[in-house]
Amino acid sequence: MTLVYEPGSTPAHRLDPRSKLLVQTTFVAAAFVYTTPPGLLALTGLVAGMLAVARTSPLRSLWEFRVVLPVVVAAPILEGLTLGAPWFVLADAIGPALASVRVLLVLLVTAAYVRTTPVRESRAVIQRSVPGRPGQFLGMGAAFVFRFLPVLQDDVARIRNAQRVRLGAERPVTERVRLLAVAAFARAFDRADTFALALQARCFAWNPTLPELRLGARDLPALALAAALAVAAVVGAT
Amino acid sequence: MTRTNTSGVDLVDEETTLNIARAALFAALMGAFALVSVTVPVTSIPFTLQVLGVFLAGILLGPVWGGAAMVLYLAAGAVGAPVFEGGSAGIGILLGGAPSFGYLWAFPLAAVVIGYLVHGSTEVRRPSSVSPARLVVAMAVGTVVIYAFGALGLMYVQDVGPEAAVLAGVVPFVPAEILKLVAALGIVRSDVLQAG
Repeated sequence: MTLVYEPGSTPAHRLDPRSKLLVQTTFVAAAFVYTTPPGLLALTGLVAGMLAVARTSPLRSLWEFRVVLPVVVAAPILEGLTLGAPWFVLADAIGPALASVRVLLVLLVTAAYVRTTPVRESRAVIQRSVPGRPGQFLGMGAAFVFRFLPVLQDDVARIRNAQRVRLGAERPVTERVRLLAVAAFARAFDRADTFALALQARCFAWNPTLPELRLGARDLPALALAAALAVAAVVGAT
Repeated sequence: MTRTNTSGVDLVDEETTLNIARAALFAALMGAFALVSVTVPVTSIPFTLQVLGVFLAGILLGPVWGGAAMVLYLAAGAVGAPVFEGGSAGIGILLGGAPSFGYLWAFPLAAVVIGYLVHGSTEVRRPSSVSPARLVVAMAVGTVVIYAFGALGLMYVQDVGPEAAVLAGVVPFVPAEILKLVAALGIVRSDVLQAG
């Protein structure tokens, strides 16, 4: 149950990935400038609209970000607590509580992007926006990470399983961590060697062919939204 | 239709190919580790093995490729690979959307710092030939870098003061970090892993 791309034909799927990234970036900027109750309320409405366009369920997305939630809940409580009477100062907790709402909104916008954008397009964006070899390295590297992530997750799960059935879980923690890491890294290095050989056999080049990205009329609403958010952020900050 | 460019294929040389493959596999393993949680005895706080990944990136791959591996990890996460804490992803997290944002940005820097302190230059030495004291100092400095950035990130994202940030973002993880440092030392000294 992790956040991944899901093929589909929603309006959000058809947008150019660059306009989606622009909307996300300007959204974060606006959210940081307007971390006030009315500002966050307006942004919540906007997020609801974006999720509807991307047909992404807010509850399911929040569930996928569940590991972040303890900190989001704990931060306002910790800030409000004081040593001594009155023990909890509500006024101190308000700022962090608003920040927690902002965190949730940004995560939901992010979820909508990830769910509607295929890897190849994201790779093309990286390679086109970062010039030269660094951009190519980032683009190809990110694509390799996508390719190998499930394989290595499987490796790690298999190693842990093997440990468990042999009562390895009874060992002290340092020992368990060491054994798991050694096995996982040894496999990853083996895979890297084989993979490098395979890449060379297939003429691994700095300049592969990428999918074409084209901004079209359908991107206009997204670009207008990004521009509005950027203007709002600049106006609010000055 | 996509036009295939067949003129002027610019091949990647052998050593760079191997380094790119290793950096990518390392980054993917960091992502796999994000889902593994181990519980520290007594405190019962779950932790992931990601910081161990940062230690080993600096020690095994050296400052240049270790740092590059961590940058790849962030880039892949930014465009949607589920590699961040608990399988989350997205550029919003790196722009300050999640409490973990400070820690994440510190990973590449910490890997470079650790790699440089261990190897003394951009040349990669055999890690088991480095003295244990040097390894411990390098990893301790790396840990300080990660947690300093982490706490600053927490103050910024959650709008809390330094005390709350340290209480929520540093103190609970100290026992786990000591444990990972010991584990990393054991791994490097046993000499079973090397990127040679």
